Amino acid sequence: MTPSPFVVETAGLTKRFGDRTVVRDVELQVPRGSAFGYLGPNGAGKTTLIRMLLGLTRATSGSMHLLGLPVPQRRSEALARVGAIVEEPRFHRFLTGRENLEIVAAARGHEATQRIDAAIDRVGLARRAGDRVGTYSLGMRQRLGIARLLLADPELLLLDEPMNGLDPAGIEEFRILIRSLVGEGRTVMLSSHLLDEVEKTVDALAIVDQGRVVAQGSIAELTRNGPATIVIASADNGRAGHLLGAHAAVDRIASEDGVLRVQLRSIDERVEQNAVADINRRLVEAGIPVYRLEPEHASLERRFLEITSRLEEAA
Amino acid sequence: MTALTATASPPLSRPFLPLVRAEVLKLRKNRGLVLTAAAMTVGAMIVAYTILLLLHAFNPDHHGPAGGVANLGNGVMLLAGLGSVAAILVGAAAGAADLSSGVFRELVVTGRSRLALFASRIPGGLTVLFSLVSAAVAIVVTVTVGFAGSLAAPSAGLLAGTVLWLLVEIAFYFAVALGLASLLGSRAQTIAILLAWRMAVTPILLSIGALGVARDAVPGAAFNRLAPDAIGKYVQEGGAVSMSVIAAIVALVAWTAIAVSLGAWRTATRDA
Repeated sequence: MTPSPFVVETAGLTKRFGDRTVVRDVELQVPRGSAFGYLGPNGAGKTTLIRMLLGLTRATSGSMHLLGLPVPQRRSEALARVGAIVEEPRFHRFLTGRENLEIVAAARGHEATQRIDAAIDRVGLARRAGDRVGTYSLGMRQRLGIARLLLADPELLLLDEPMNGLDPAGIEEFRILIRSLVGEGRTVMLSSHLLDEVEKTVDALAIVDQGRVVAQGSIAELTRNGPATIVIASADNGRAGHLLGAHAAVDRIASEDGVLRVQLRSIDERVEQNAVADINRRLVEAGIPVYRLEPEHASLERRFLEITSRLEEAA
Repeated sequence: MTALTATASPPLSRPFLPLVRAEVLKLRKNRGLVLTAAAMTVGAMIVAYTILLLLHAFNPDHHGPAGGVANLGNGVMLLAGLGSVAAILVGAAAGAADLSSGVFRELVVTGRSRLALFASRIPGGLTVLFSLVSAAVAIVVTVTVGFAGSLAAPSAGLLAGTVLWLLVEIAFYFAVALGLASLLGSRAQTIAILLAWRMAVTPILLSIGALGVARDAVPGAAFNRLAPDAIGKYVQEGGAVSMSVIAAIVALVAWTAIAVSLGAWRTATRDA
């Protein structure tokens, strides 16, 4: 049987707590073998979605598949090849790092026990594995959490806000680890509200707000998906702005930091190219020296804010 | 672990014994718990019988031998009281430790059956508890038989019956504490409720004759009824209740089944 191209699939997934809908009709598809971000502001329902996928809390309605298996119906089989960290990884503080891994390996089975040494080595905790977890720093506990989920030799890793509380070096280390896991053919789905980190780490993502997935795709698709902005610096920005204000392709113009930000109406790439060429021609014909003229690709942050603020306005 | 291994079917059955070993590890490495439980079982027996031995050694005219049936009864009374408190402590820890530390969630995401996780706490906790109680029982048997002196030493049958009765009482309080802690998710609440029940409520209920046969449902009455005759007067809690052996066994089984079932149900259904 051909494995599903998606390691996580949800349809109409909804979770309500009383009158409050925390996750609303989520349709999510996480491609196999990728680093996938689940990005949203605090309180957007990211953790609840992951908790439902893992069977930590029940869905109110909708369906879920993990590694092609329906959950919760075949939860046990599915989770045998899934590793997860939900919020901060938790341990028995009076046990050593190794003993904490032994506890979880006992639940997973014999193969997991055999992976303990390799997992400890991989996260660089070999010298501290015999120390009680109560003496570990947050970064070390995060690494031990990764070691614990590697015990499953997971096809899918679900990481909920994994970079919370890490220092810059720890974040960089974590990013490299995630990429190496993806390089081994695993899929990593991570939820986060840290846009910059998600943009640097993942291949594709879904943006979630108020419990709903509001955009989904590769980072290139998401940042391209919207009208382009052209940054123009000229000898006379005032006259240039006046001239371009009447241009049919221009939606609006803003002057900031000594440049003009000209937002186009069309999102079509070819139309955008023609408009840029035409704007350049008009400025030159009008005798305005142009120092700089370049399309500006929206950052994920800008796109995220556009989407979420649009939703706020609609609400 | 440098590359994802070929996708294989996950093992269909995962052995139960490693889960039990993991429970033993968790409880055994909880030093505060083990030291307290050891003090209440082994420590209490060492202190009690050492005092009796010293008193007899220094003043044999006023203090009889440390052994014999009467001192078996006194020792078992002390061990049953403190041992059941130790059982409550261990049961509450076994039932609530994973929840309070947040590790329960980490175990659930392994895909392991929640009922298996719960069930493993029973043999795991009893292993730790009985290892301590066994050492305490060894002290009781050694002293009451070996230092009986002019008194009649307890017979093998009496010792066997007494040890069985003691283990049942301790296992009972462990099971109830485990179930209640798994239900409430709180070690402190469980300990408070059960200590109040064991130390204060039980003697009061058994003393109220107006309750009639309703007193048969109190576990303390059942243990009074099941205690071997030779030590019965030493281990009585509250007033004596006349009831059949069958009724006593039914009462204890019912309490155990209710507590364990509630704990298992809550473990299987709670948000992790």
